[in-house]
Amino acid sequence: MNVAVTPTMVGQVVISGILAGALYAMVALGLALIFGVMRVINIAHGPLLMLGAYTTYFLYAGLGLNPYLSVPVSMAVLFVIGALLQRTLVFRVVDAPELSSLLLTFGISIALVNLAQLAFTSDLRAVEYLTGSWGLGPFAFSKTRVLAFVFAAGVTTLAFLLLQRTRLGRAIRATSQSREVAMVCGVNVGRIHTITFGLASALAAAGGALIAVVVAVQPEMGQVWTFKSFLVIVLGGAGNYPGALLGGVLLGLVEQIASLFLTSQLSEVVAYVLLVVVLLVRPTGLLGGRQT
Amino acid sequence: MTLAPRAFLTGLAVLAAALALYPIVGTGYGVRAMLQLFMWIALAGSWNLISGLTGYVSFGHVAFFGAGAYAGAILIAKAGWPWLPAALAGGAAACVLALVIGYPCLRLKGPYFAIAMLGLNEVLRALTSYFEGLTGGGSGLSLPTLHATVPIYYAMALAAAGVTLLTYLIITSRFGLRLMTIREDEVAAEAMGIDTARHKLYAFLLSAAGPGVVGALAARDQGYIEPISVFPLATTITMIVMALFGGKGTVWGPVLGAIVLFVSQEIVWARFPYVHQLLFGAIIAAVVLLMPRGVLGLLQTKYRLPRTL
Amino acid sequence: MAAPVLEVDALSKHFGGVAAVAGVSLRLEPGRIYGLIGPNGSGKTTLFNCITGLERRDAGRVLFNGRRIDGLKPFEVARLGIGRTFQIIRVFPELSALENLLVVTDGPLAAARARALELLRFVKLEGLKDEYAGNLSYGQQKLVEFVRVLMRDPTLVLLDEPAAGVNRTLLNDLLDAVRRLRDEGKTILLVEHDMKVVMGLCETVFVLDHGEKIAEGPPGLIQADERVIEAYFGR
Repeated sequence: MNVAVTPTMVGQVVISGILAGALYAMVALGLALIFGVMRVINIAHGPLLMLGAYTTYFLYAGLGLNPYLSVPVSMAVLFVIGALLQRTLVFRVVDAPELSSLLLTFGISIALVNLAQLAFTSDLRAVEYLTGSWGLGPFAFSKTRVLAFVFAAGVTTLAFLLLQRTRLGRAIRATSQSREVAMVCGVNVGRIHTITFGLASALAAAGGALIAVVVAVQPEMGQVWTFKSFLVIVLGGAGNYPGALLGGVLLGLVEQIASLFLTSQLSEVVAYVLLVVVLLVRPTGLLGGRQT
Repeated sequence: MTLAPRAFLTGLAVLAAALALYPIVGTGYGVRAMLQLFMWIALAGSWNLISGLTGYVSFGHVAFFGAGAYAGAILIAKAGWPWLPAALAGGAAACVLALVIGYPCLRLKGPYFAIAMLGLNEVLRALTSYFEGLTGGGSGLSLPTLHATVPIYYAMALAAAGVTLLTYLIITSRFGLRLMTIREDEVAAEAMGIDTARHKLYAFLLSAAGPGVVGALAARDQGYIEPISVFPLATTITMIVMALFGGKGTVWGPVLGAIVLFVSQEIVWARFPYVHQLLFGAIIAAVVLLMPRGVLGLLQTKYRLPRTL
Repeated sequence: MAAPVLEVDALSKHFGGVAAVAGVSLRLEPGRIYGLIGPNGSGKTTLFNCITGLERRDAGRVLFNGRRIDGLKPFEVARLGIGRTFQIIRVFPELSALENLLVVTDGPLAAARARALELLRFVKLEGLKDEYAGNLSYGQQKLVEFVRVLMRDPTLVLLDEPAAGVNRTLLNDLLDAVRRLRDEGKTILLVEHDMKVVMGLCETVFVLDHGEKIAEGPPGLIQADERVIEAYFGR
């Protein structure tokens, strides 16, 4: 099982890790926003990604829409869904003990997955739009993964521009730091909560749209993304938005490197052990962030 | 108020006698259904011990069920153990797993613990598939045929009774009170000299024993197990919804929840698996929003009933 | 000079880039009442948290009866004999008043129960012993929190704003209780904003500002200290 490791392999693995990392970072940023702004642990994050993937699939299968063009559409659809979820359900547990938000979002995630099962059946769907890979010197990367990286990096950059340069972004950051102070400064905190949840869902949807061309689309596809998004946040530091970037890339790298030595089954175990170890050693994340 | 408890105990004794005699008159289907109900009572009650009392939500509790199932099945199939000791060994194996997982994970604050437990399921499933030699991997493990539905019925009943009794003993003890302070205000509990890490670990261990035992019993009853059958997220979901609905943190809440939801499941929903899971998700959300302490918890607060309810 | 009950030696604690506590040193002798005052944000509660192990200090040492306790977990510190109350009341709301007290003890239940009832009688709350603590009034909860700290018979008692939100009559009872504790040989350190309480109760007062100790002495002198006045009323 142990293959001789060549520099080319290392290079391939590192670049693959970064490619995957951008996607992880983008999705995890959504989760980080929800946690940072509302202190809610959104277990339904993965299912939201799944819904984004299905949106892209149906636009492709029904209208022939280029999946990469459907990214903004999926994002818009899930923005609305996310905002609705927040407005109707999640807002009630924002001030409740964390146990409540955990259980509520857990319930929502089950409901979403099973709704998808009922509506779409568990048949595997695929968006076969692009195949093959691009070569760069000694390396080869599948086209879909490269494009996923490009789009994810783009969306994440836009998200950060929003957070740093716009008034809305400032309001979001202010609310993350201190809700009371934000309110005193005239921020409509309720509206910020709704918008944030919508934005986070949109980020998850973008992830789903991009991943729909790579893996099979089925109702349970989101579950592992929930867990991995948490791992990214733990790695990067809870409440630390730029940390999500670092965490995402780290996770991508760790997974790719692990896949060199272990079967894919065990790479999930690696992610899990990594999570537990990091939580124990540095609960505030590698970059340091807020504790719960 | 000595009349009420005496009447209650007499009622319990009568019920116990009725349940003990049931296999004689019941149909095969009926006995199996009751057997399943006892299993759910034991599972929901065990989840309640950690999550209801300490407030540390365990999203991966089915891991103990599966661990017990595999431990018991391996002992029966490969070492020729009789099923009863194998079931007890299953419980022990689950406790060992709880110790290994709990020791690091319970140090994490509530939400991080929940996340860690969320991933546990998948990890165990992956590990079980990986160690094929021992566990039969993806193709599963078959046990030698044995028709023991009735004895297993009794064993499950004892497990259910045991978990309920354990809950009662804990809730009426100082140990139980201390567990509750962890839920109420862990920081204050620590500041008052309570070793919360140790208490959480004990509760976690106790909450793993039940699922371990019934997992092994269920494995014996089915005669065949594979990773997907004993580590399904659906089992965790069902445990949680039963305990939440009936009343987490109470003694009889999980029992009530198990009865109500299991009966509804058998009658109505088993025909439409996704609808029933969907409804469970909706019930969890509804309970959290509208009735966070469950049916019995609500009654307790409204009518000032004792905590031992 | 008696051996100190508590010695805080150049304690520092930072949050991000901000020093909440900067090189604070204190020395508490047994059987006295000390006050800790300072404007909001001067680091008082953080100091308490570092002493009791709730926060990990960045530098400095804490010695309790000569033994180093910095680095110990909060429950270990509590078991050594330091009790504290919180700025925001932290009773266990779904436990009864009696249970709030019982839960803190380890020994035989009967003895613990007797002591708990005795303490509740001390603050005239024995009639409400079975009431959920969450249903009690603010003042009653404060009293429960106060006697809960006494269940373990601590040597050093840290009180965080004991007078906040408490009416005059209750306050007098509370202050009498604190004096009685001192007479029993306990040491009390209290954080307070109510100057009348501090002046009337404390024998020595420490003043913190922006994390540093800027003054220390008997209340009369502190009141007149220029630096203290500046800290409170601005420069």
